[in-house]
Amino acid sequence: MAPSGVTSPIVETHGLTKRYGGLDVVRAVSLALPAGSRTALVGANGAGKTTLLAMLCTLIAPTEGDATIAGHALRARPAALRRAIGVLAHQPMLYEEMTPLENLRFFARLYGVTDAEPRIEELLRAVGVWTRRHEPVSVLSRGYHQRLALARALVHRPAVLLADEPETGLDPEGVEMLDELALRAPGLTVIAATHRVDRIGAWATGLVRLEHGRAVEDTASVAGART
Amino acid sequence: MNAGLAVVAKDLRLAWRDRAGWASAGAFATIAVLTYSFAFDLATGDIRPLLPGVLWTTFLFASIFAGGQSFARESEEGTFDALLLAPVPATVIYLGKATANVIAMLVIEFAQLLLATILFDTNLLSPELLVIVFIGTVGAVALTTLLSTMSASMRGRAMLLPVMALPLLIPLLIGAVRATGASLDLESGTAPWTLLLGVFALWSALLSVLLFPMAVER
Repeated sequence: MAPSGVTSPIVETHGLTKRYGGLDVVRAVSLALPAGSRTALVGANGAGKTTLLAMLCTLIAPTEGDATIAGHALRARPAALRRAIGVLAHQPMLYEEMTPLENLRFFARLYGVTDAEPRIEELLRAVGVWTRRHEPVSVLSRGYHQRLALARALVHRPAVLLADEPETGLDPEGVEMLDELALRAPGLTVIAATHRVDRIGAWATGLVRLEHGRAVEDTASVAGART
Repeated sequence: MNAGLAVVAKDLRLAWRDRAGWASAGAFATIAVLTYSFAFDLATGDIRPLLPGVLWTTFLFASIFAGGQSFARESEEGTFDALLLAPVPATVIYLGKATANVIAMLVIEFAQLLLATILFDTNLLSPELLVIVFIGTVGAVALTTLLSTMSASMRGRAMLLPVMALPLLIPLLIGAVRATGASLDLESGTAPWTLLLGVFALWSALLSVLLFPMAVER
């Protein structure tokens, strides 16, 4: 299951730490995940999975340590790093009063996607929302929100997908679509926090287990690249 | 630039679709102007000296109210995080949101000036006064947009925002009221109130642009 050491890492973290008051929520996590790898981030509630992902996507500033994604350092080039990542969070992060088409057009423009219209059509068809593209997001079900959130996260063709409980709200057909478009998509590097340990074998190439903020098990990193 | 314009277009679209926030601010401003007109009609013969104060207290409260609504919705739906995840500086997001708020506020203010012109039988649509309203609105919205970002995730934000904003807006309020008074020939002396208002508006806009990235940092 562990990837070989020959592929250079696309995601590297060096002693990444987040401290609130005196409490270390994430403690000195060092990873080196190869391009195209699919990492399951597991651990009990409060283990630090969401905080680690929030640091990697620049929403939370680390207290100590640094990270590099696709060659862009978290602290030095956050905007360039954000262009390389797609984020699928707990909340779908969609404008409820806008339609799926309008949402994706807005995010495509925000990311400077040049071929926005064909890309949006391709994604909306892939996630099964094309026929409902003119309806306000507020009338769509939770499952459709999650499908649309996936399309939003992928609209700019990110190199790395950071996902927090990506299966939430999806029916079996939606989970299949998630696997096809994201978790098992060729070339896409995935780091996904999940409690669905029964499904990890279906998509992950490696696993990082967090306990009290510390990475206690890592079968995902490039051998020898970890500090 | 394109990202900033995308935020402006998106916010104006949302303001139009979900009119509750801006309609409430507009309704508040209308009720305030109507109430003042009835009250002053009974209390005093010449109401013109009171007009600058009436207009600007109404505008500032409407601006605080509407600004708070705009960010509260982003915070609740998690879309503000989506904006911060975009590969553009936080300043661009701020400028986009502030510009949309200025445009929406100007629409409300123009309607109130029209209403007040009728109710108070005084021309409040002169080019000079419109310039003063524009400058004052830019200064006020710059600050309220910044402060509503900071208070969006706090409990009791509806109360916190005016408590934070009003003390900071006092210099702008004084400048705007005096400049408006001068434009209505109510002020004696030659103090350059419009210039002072412009300086304060510029200062508050620059300060907000500089502070916004820190305000959204976690």
